[in-house]
Amino acid sequence: MTLLRQYLRAIVNARKLLTYTFLLCFALAIYLPFLMIVLRSVGKGWFGKLWLPPQLTLDWYRWAVEVTNIVDITKNTLIIAGLAVIMATLIGIPTGWAFGRRRIPGKELLMSTILLPRMIPPIAYALGVAQIFYRLHLINTHFGVALSHVAVCAPYAILVLSATFEGLDERVLEAAAVCGANPLRTFFHVIVPLILPGILSSMIFTFTTSYNEFTLTLLTYGKDTVTLPVRTYLAIGEGYWEVTSAMSVILVIPSLIVLFLIQKQVAPEKLVGGFKGV
Amino acid sequence: MKRGAKARPVLVTLLMLLPGWAIFFGLFFYPMMVTVVRSLRPEGEQVGWTLEHYVRFLSEPRARDVILLTFVLSVASTLCSIAFSLVLCLVLRRKPRGHRFFRLTMLVPRVVPGLIGALGLLLLLGSRGWVNLFLLQFPFIREPVQINYTIPGLILFYTWLYFPFTAVTTLSTLESLDPAIEEAADVAGANRWQVLRHVIVPLIMPGILAGSILTFMAAFGAFSIPLIAGGNYRPLAVEIYRQIDFTPARWSAASARAMIMALLQVIFLTIYMRVLRRPAA
Repeated sequence: MTLLRQYLRAIVNARKLLTYTFLLCFALAIYLPFLMIVLRSVGKGWFGKLWLPPQLTLDWYRWAVEVTNIVDITKNTLIIAGLAVIMATLIGIPTGWAFGRRRIPGKELLMSTILLPRMIPPIAYALGVAQIFYRLHLINTHFGVALSHVAVCAPYAILVLSATFEGLDERVLEAAAVCGANPLRTFFHVIVPLILPGILSSMIFTFTTSYNEFTLTLLTYGKDTVTLPVRTYLAIGEGYWEVTSAMSVILVIPSLIVLFLIQKQVAPEKLVGGFKGV
Repeated sequence: MKRGAKARPVLVTLLMLLPGWAIFFGLFFYPMMVTVVRSLRPEGEQVGWTLEHYVRFLSEPRARDVILLTFVLSVASTLCSIAFSLVLCLVLRRKPRGHRFFRLTMLVPRVVPGLIGALGLLLLLGSRGWVNLFLLQFPFIREPVQINYTIPGLILFYTWLYFPFTAVTTLSTLESLDPAIEEAADVAGANRWQVLRHVIVPLIMPGILAGSILTFMAAFGAFSIPLIAGGNYRPLAVEIYRQIDFTPARWSAASARAMIMALLQVIFLTIYMRVLRRPAA
């Protein structure tokens, strides 16, 4: 009897072990590539069959700053992402309000057409965007690149904000009115605090989308509007893996910080999903 | 007076919808139309109509390879994502210690730029990467295994980058599952495997389907990964970009390929949904 119990316990323990081994492998598979990039960016003379670089150096970061002018590129990236966030939010608030608060015939259909840019491969309409922008002389301007990002950012903003407005409770507004608040007061003291988290999370999502956007930037950038992802791509083409790694580390840190910061405030799953059902 | 009061909210709603629609038309619909028209014009001209670009691309023997490659990559990586996500989510559902961390880990490939993920994987799986150093420890492996720039390698890259779509929806469907159903199956005498096979999987199938469609679409349209990690293998998106990468840029040829790609995506999606829906029905 005790032997049987021991066997059972062994099986249970093995299951646990198996679970953790699987999870460990999973975490390694996700994080090891980043570790490799970090090691590559600080390693010197790392050739042949070595597990770790023999010498450490910060030269590649200096190279990244001096040769590729990464300060300007970071500035470009941030300006473009900022513009895209502003435009997407300004578009998302009214449209999200209409979707969330109003009865619209064929709402599902309207919503899915607005989400269409996120389903069709960006390269297909990026071609058209590039041709239009060439005609309008919007290529190689911060505004132009940001505008092209709005095509993918705005659907996110609309989606998140319409959910926010939908969650706004009518009774709270009525209560404010009953308590004698005028519409202006209601707006600033009741509505704004209630929807602010939604607006913030929409801004964070659109910011990361624009910050990481590659396809649309590649087709609309010029020499004055190189962004970090495009520069990384060019560096990969040039074949300097160490400098590329250093730039990637600089590029990836904000994304990871954002992920770990927002996980408490907003459901990060929204970054991935978004469509219900399809 | 009364009619005016009633018409106003409608007008306000329409006005509020306007920015969203303006963006949709200006940045998506109109560019798509431009692409359509461009693909029907002779190269570099603004007048005339021709089907030359479609005919020329489709009559190349390489066209079939490119389309087949795109299809194989996206279907294979979708299947891998489904298999992997199912195991991962079944494990995470039991809330093992540190499950919050693993949940967050699941999102990492979607939050960082695809380029960087691909770069890291290239370094990790290269002939001098840790994976090969590890494999060389085994006595029967003499040569470094070539993973990068091969089709299985690309499938691995795609799966790494796009499985979160499937995993997130699968996990949320799995968690909204009523535990009473499982208990009922348990009481009825089904063993663990039977519960999984006949109860859980059919119930979460819609969630898996929705998520895997997102994975499929992302993999089908994948651009940055095959661009740097594809080597000689060029899926459609890269093939399109190659047309305008050099001077003189061949916009019409690129547009024709883009239209073929969009059309194929619609066709594949329709087939895909049919195939996956059948067992559930």
